[in-house]
Amino acid sequence: MAQTTTFKGRPAVPGSAEGSAEVSHIGFNTCATYVDVLISGTDSGVCQDHDNKDLFGHDLQDKIVCIPQTIGSSSAATLFMIILDKGIAPKAMLFANHIDSLAACGILMGDNWLGKRIVTVDLLGDAFLDAVKTGDTVKVHEDGTVEIEG
Amino acid sequence: MEHMKHIKLGGQIGTDPNFALATHTGHSKAGAKHSDPQPKMQLTQEEQDIYDGKKGDVLQKAIKTVVAYGQLFGAEKLVNLGGAPHHAVSWGSDGVEPLLKIYKQLVDAGLKTYAPFTADPKPMDPVHLLVTPEEQATVDKIYNRMDELQELNLKLGMRSEKDWSCACYVPEMGNTPEYGDYLAWSESSAINYVNSVIGARTNRNSMGIDMLCNILGKAPQFGLLTDEGRQAVWLIDVKTTKMPHPEMIGSAIGLKVMEDVSFITGMGRFISEINEETSGYLKDLGAATASNGAVGRYHMEGVTPEAVERGRDLLKDGYQTYVIDDAELDRIYKSYPNLWKDKQGTPQRVFLGCPHMTYGQMTEWGKRIVDAMEKAGKTEIGVPTYMFGSQYVKDAFEKRNPEVAKKLKELGVSIPINCPMMWCSTPVEGAELVATNSNKTRVYTTARFFFDDVLTELIVTGKLPASVA
Repeated sequence: MAQTTTFKGRPAVPGSAEGSAEVSHIGFNTCATYVDVLISGTDSGVCQDHDNKDLFGHDLQDKIVCIPQTIGSSSAATLFMIILDKGIAPKAMLFANHIDSLAACGILMGDNWLGKRIVTVDLLGDAFLDAVKTGDTVKVHEDGTVEIEG
Repeated sequence: MEHMKHIKLGGQIGTDPNFALATHTGHSKAGAKHSDPQPKMQLTQEEQDIYDGKKGDVLQKAIKTVVAYGQLFGAEKLVNLGGAPHHAVSWGSDGVEPLLKIYKQLVDAGLKTYAPFTADPKPMDPVHLLVTPEEQATVDKIYNRMDELQELNLKLGMRSEKDWSCACYVPEMGNTPEYGDYLAWSESSAINYVNSVIGARTNRNSMGIDMLCNILGKAPQFGLLTDEGRQAVWLIDVKTTKMPHPEMIGSAIGLKVMEDVSFITGMGRFISEINEETSGYLKDLGAATASNGAVGRYHMEGVTPEAVERGRDLLKDGYQTYVIDDAELDRIYKSYPNLWKDKQGTPQRVFLGCPHMTYGQMTEWGKRIVDAMEKAGKTEIGVPTYMFGSQYVKDAFEKRNPEVAKKLKELGVSIPINCPMMWCSTPVEGAELVATNSNKTRVYTTARFFFDDVLTELIVTGKLPASVA
């Protein structure tokens, strides 16, 4: 019988979402992840970051992406806008740490200027990343509550 | 490995690629909890009217984005901006398509920044950075929307077609804020300089949010815009036997404190004031902290304005201490990886000046190269050498030092006005072996960092000294 574990975070960009988890235990390099979208203009949400053993080759479209924080170029903000524009973005992004300014900028620009939302919760804590596993069903609630069904 | 990605990313990585786990807000927020109080931003009536759409839907979207962004980082209000803006976006490519779309919306709504702005250097200077036709074709293909970006920028309030430089704050260029001015700048090295050396106040802004703040003339007050956010949580005790290289001391600090504010002591033996000569040193030190870590500002005891004003009161209770001595700098230098394709190869270019050189640096390097060449009895440099600077600094250098400028030209030294780092991250046929005096270029590309005496010998002879080759 599936067990549900609940965590509480801050609803940075609030909303409800449910989907399959994709978990990275290292910083999520937005530019490297979507490098082919950037360079070749592909319409794929598959992670291209060779350094990220957790996510490389995984399709992140419509998934619940669980990470400590994003890292990398300041152009990451436009990457978020591009993947939202193309409809290949994750449904939700769940941050164990405080959200960084690169992700915050990109996700909010996409929300306000493209009308497309990535539900975002931060400050879920390290225990969240210890608990959630790729493939788990994750439910995200408006108030920042996150349920993991393992 | 991470550096190789820069090659694949093809020059579209922007000017602030940093792989650190940092919030880029001036202080680590490692201790933050979801249960911490989340202040709601208080808006003035004018701001509320914009928020409610009374000044148009485009401006409404701008303020809604800025307010939401500020609230995520604990801002309680917006502050009015002073000085003039500076933006990091300087590469027009398909990769910034969404941003160009937003810029078009702003232009169509008749909006402009609150003051004329400057921007980072363009990726290429086809006149002064010599490349093959194939390489130029690659560059043209990648940066296929440069004209569009420039046109949009000029409509949105860019000062002129000449105003592309990361060192916009130097007197010759004149986008120099005043002490205490609130700003919403992007470009990590410029942010670090105006925060640290001038005492203006800006956060490390990402692309997009910078333009929106500067259209509004307002920025959310958090992080480095607050008194608390400018306090130091690290004491950096410099105990080197001689004046440390700015790129090395900055690298050491950045690697240690990551994004926190530091208070540097022990430098009074070497620097007593900010002037034409020392401003270049402080620029390079700050740029190295910003690229090796994600540092938005530092204080230097007895030198930088807030440190002169408040001294060690700037240190927060419970601060940590990091001692830097000769051995520590040596350890760090030796830890830098050699990312050249041919690790023992002969360098193909020497890049000097990232961030762009100040007038003092261009003069010093110009004279150094001319003197070394004359001493060696040579009439042609041994390896293509480039001193990067803004058009304004270049013009001032050539006007005030006509003899040196003439000799440099005869020797084959070029002064391009583009971004050396972006050239290094442009995929050309085979990665070039670039030697540089910039730690920032080292961090973000495959270029190798060398000290000034090594680079001088390389420029004269075309070969690296046996001690470092």
